[in-house]
Amino acid sequence: MIRKLATVVLACVAVGSMNASADQLDTVIQRGTLNCGVVLDFPPMGYFNEDNEPAGFDVDYCNDLAEVLGVDVNVLNLTWGDRIPSLIAGKTDVVIGSTSDTLERAKSVGFTYPYFVFKFQVIAGKDKNIQSFDDLKNLKVGAALGTTYETEYLAYAEKKGWGTDNYTAFKSENDAYLGLYQGKVDAIISTNTNIATKLQSEEFAGFEAGPFVPNYDDVVGLIAKRSETAWINYLNLFLVRQIRDGNMNEAYNKHFGSDAPADLIQSLRDNK
Amino acid sequence: MEYEFHWNVVFQTMPELLNGAFVTLHVSVLAMLLGIVIAILLAIAKMNNSKPFCYVATVWVEIARNTPALFQIYMAYFGLGAFGIHLSPYVAVLSALVFINAGYLTETFRGGFQSIPSTQYSASKSLGMTSIQVYRYIILPQMLRRIYHPMTNQFVWSILMSSLGILVGMSELSGTTQRLQSLSFRTLEFFIVAAVMYFVITKLVLISSSLLSRRLFKGEV
Repeated sequence: MIRKLATVVLACVAVGSMNASADQLDTVIQRGTLNCGVVLDFPPMGYFNEDNEPAGFDVDYCNDLAEVLGVDVNVLNLTWGDRIPSLIAGKTDVVIGSTSDTLERAKSVGFTYPYFVFKFQVIAGKDKNIQSFDDLKNLKVGAALGTTYETEYLAYAEKKGWGTDNYTAFKSENDAYLGLYQGKVDAIISTNTNIATKLQSEEFAGFEAGPFVPNYDDVVGLIAKRSETAWINYLNLFLVRQIRDGNMNEAYNKHFGSDAPADLIQSLRDNK
Repeated sequence: MEYEFHWNVVFQTMPELLNGAFVTLHVSVLAMLLGIVIAILLAIAKMNNSKPFCYVATVWVEIARNTPALFQIYMAYFGLGAFGIHLSPYVAVLSALVFINAGYLTETFRGGFQSIPSTQYSASKSLGMTSIQVYRYIILPQMLRRIYHPMTNQFVWSILMSSLGILVGMSELSGTTQRLQSLSFRTLEFFIVAAVMYFVITKLVLISSSLLSRRLFKGEV
């Protein structure tokens, strides 16, 4: 049995090594299509618009990138958990999907410079009256599985000795909001941008944005295969130019309804 | 080769993975046991002449067999949630699996029951046994022996389908794997290890049920 398993694993490895790396930048240009992965249940970064087409800040970045490369764009809808497998399997060339740039993850995948900074925040029913993050202690809390805010919440809960009995993981961002809406959990952790978007909808009239996750800026980058350094270099320059050429501010304006805050621009210019 | 495997990340989190594997085993064994009990009742109901029982059993079987497990687990969690009934992820997955197991096994059991000649029933009755005694001592033992293999198939299916628990945030083997891989993005390594663990769990279950069957049926399966 072990021999059989070994054969299967070896076969996978062999298939993987066959498409030995032509440089990704060349591959994309020669192919004439950029396969750009975006998480489309994370408004306003990625979502489906009324015409059921991909839209959002990240989708605009995909379009901008394809334009400067001179290729067509193919936006692929990913879940949080699909981001890395899609890169490794070669389904995507780059994932513009609000990926937090932890050093642990950077051992597995190549990160660009930061392209956005989020705050993690609590959203809960107004009746819960949450003043500080510590008020979550005796409440049922949820978050989307495999996100950095899940990790941050669990780390905080462990530090405070809250345990994980009150915690529920949801498969996706949408499911987390559905769970909150149905009352399965009292509060969820999400990003400030997504919460602001959700609070504009009628369904969430009875909810309010609560405290931020203490001491944490969620700095996110684009990700690509770790080995594709030339491609990552190109992406880095692309991000620099997005700010310098004003595309970043334009996309921000379109999706957040105001100019990009000066401190956000500055922290991106400082790469932190 | 393009991809470098980093196995140490996986081994560091082994206790959590094993914990997840235990939950998987736990929920599927419980779902199987409850499913068997309900399926026997449903099978008897389905063969019964009384209309209401037969009707309930038929509806149960038809829904369980003709809709995806994914849909049923989702309904048990979010569907019931819409009506204010909040099951924990564990209970939601357990009840969905019991529902499906019972549905499938009912048909298996009905086949098993019908393979026992009805003359045995009349013969036992004429010896003065009650209906319950006839089932308990004559029909069920023979029937269980005949349907042993289809039943273990269902068991394996139940273990593998519990991986859909990830849909509703259950921390079974798949959910734990998904969460741990998101910390390091060592997706392939974690999924390979999880697959091996599923393999081991199903093998363990098959071996122990085969040992059990040897005891119960004196080896004549």
